[in-house]
Amino acid sequence: MADSILVSAQGLTKVYNRGTEEVRALDGVTFDLQRGEFTAVVGVSGAGKTTLLHLLGCMDTPTSGELLIDGQSTRGLSDSALTRMRREQVGFVFQHFGLLPTLTVMENLTLPTLFSKKEAKAYANELLERVGLTHRRNHLPNQLSGGEMQRVAIARALINRPQVLLADEPTGNLDSANGEAILQLFHQLHRDGLTIIVVTHNPILANATQRQLVLHDGRLVP
Amino acid sequence: MLILALKNLTRRRLRTALTLFGIAISVGVLACLLAFGKGYEAGLGRELNNMGIQMMLVPLGCPYDAAARVLKGKTLDVSLPAESVKTVRREVGVEIAAPMLMATLPRPSEGRTDLWVGVEESIRPLKPWWKMKEGSRWFPDENSVILGAEAANVELRQVGDTFFSPETGRKFTVCGVLERSGTSDDSQFFVPLATAQAMFRQPDRITAVAIRLKDPTLIGDVSKRLQEVRGAQVVTMAEMMGTFLNLIGSVRTLVLAIAIVALCISGLSVFNTMLSAVLERTRELGVLRAVGASRSQVFSLLTVEAVLLTTLGSAIGVILALLFGHFVELIVRFFVQIAPSEAFLILSREVIQDCFMVGIVVGLGAGLYPAWQASRLQPVDAIRAD
Repeated sequence: MADSILVSAQGLTKVYNRGTEEVRALDGVTFDLQRGEFTAVVGVSGAGKTTLLHLLGCMDTPTSGELLIDGQSTRGLSDSALTRMRREQVGFVFQHFGLLPTLTVMENLTLPTLFSKKEAKAYANELLERVGLTHRRNHLPNQLSGGEMQRVAIARALINRPQVLLADEPTGNLDSANGEAILQLFHQLHRDGLTIIVVTHNPILANATQRQLVLHDGRLVP
Repeated sequence: MLILALKNLTRRRLRTALTLFGIAISVGVLACLLAFGKGYEAGLGRELNNMGIQMMLVPLGCPYDAAARVLKGKTLDVSLPAESVKTVRREVGVEIAAPMLMATLPRPSEGRTDLWVGVEESIRPLKPWWKMKEGSRWFPDENSVILGAEAANVELRQVGDTFFSPETGRKFTVCGVLERSGTSDDSQFFVPLATAQAMFRQPDRITAVAIRLKDPTLIGDVSKRLQEVRGAQVVTMAEMMGTFLNLIGSVRTLVLAIAIVALCISGLSVFNTMLSAVLERTRELGVLRAVGASRSQVFSLLTVEAVLLTTLGSAIGVILALLFGHFVELIVRFFVQIAPSEAFLILSREVIQDCFMVGIVVGLGAGLYPAWQASRLQPVDAIRAD
């Protein structure tokens, strides 16, 4: 069932150089993710979770090993090819939301379409309705609560209809009520068939996923 | 992209406003300078041509200063013998030779100084802008006076009135009043040449001779021959215009250099603003890259911001030049000895286009490096920068 594998990591290694010191953030990580799977990446701080997410989000390239997304290897891809992957295959949700403060909710939501040059006004309205923020479309981020900002960030990540949604600590800056709302939203998206990978410290969110990848010192714990 | 760039510029309003102000001032100065250069040359040429004077005989000294003072209605400290006008008239190429004696008459009781000009009727063809008010006529006797429009206003006199001049002990009859012409003639008192010579105790002296030639192509030969007149020198209007344009040209070069320095400083200010924006917005630029912006799109965004900033600044500069250009014109008139009487600071479409072009070039020049820096950011490094 090779077709059902959306993400395949083979011996992913990422090494950073901090002065003379070599930091091995990821060390030979290998796993496959099925299409439509809801996965949590867990582990203590510094285990390599965010590094893994950045590699999956095509925002960085591995030092060695291979990553395939929808059958396409990211190894040796040019910057513009990686940009195209980020634009078309991946939706990314940041822990700190990553909303542009000068843009309204609607403008933030449609920001990726500015670069992909896709017309997505109708879909943007649909997404806004889905995350329950239609009434906030003309508000600026500083007029929203943390939970609302995170919902806008999730909607923005979905605007280009990605294959996989990546979320870095999506409930990290939220209270439990808002965290619960985000969890429900992820469940809904998962039920619709979206592949979701979340990096989290939140055990409730981690336990709600189908599968957990546990990282420790850059290695995957079996 | 344009809206995104515009919104980014409104983020630090004070910084953006200061940068805009710097560009606006530089572009405004540049606009005035370009408009002034073209308008001054055209206006001065038109005015000198309209006078119908091709040359002027003036006392020895700086000929351009003397000619300019005579043309603008100011007195000279030196004079010519009245005989010299006869020498000029004997010259075959001369059509009209009009002698003038100019003298000031202090009026302490009125708190002003009047300028009296002694003339002969030969001056009339050389003053084509002279229009007499109804009832006016040329001097019927030696105690007649023709008043410029402003002089008549100040004296509260009209044609037919008489008045006594205590300073000279003479009683004058107003035989004519000139219509307002916008020239220095408006404030002058014109009397027969002999009367002026008697009033100011300068018998057989004149200030200058205005000359019109039968054929303007003879100007070189006539000028050469008239240089022989003792105690006098000839200055042609073409030479005078050339000298003044050279003088103005030097001032323009100096001001242009200042404007260029100001533009460079504005460019550095835009550079600083854009570079600060890149540093402050590193994380946001990372987000843009993460959601699918390519390097060239990030580069374009920052370049658009810089060009938008300088284009807006240029627009404000042009508006400032339109609003305050006439003050600059007043200052120029105050400092420049000879200036056209009509408005000469005209912001043409061409000048405005040039200013916008300069603004855009400065914006591009100043924005390229920060834009290139921004486009080189790796998304993951930019996101980590917070």
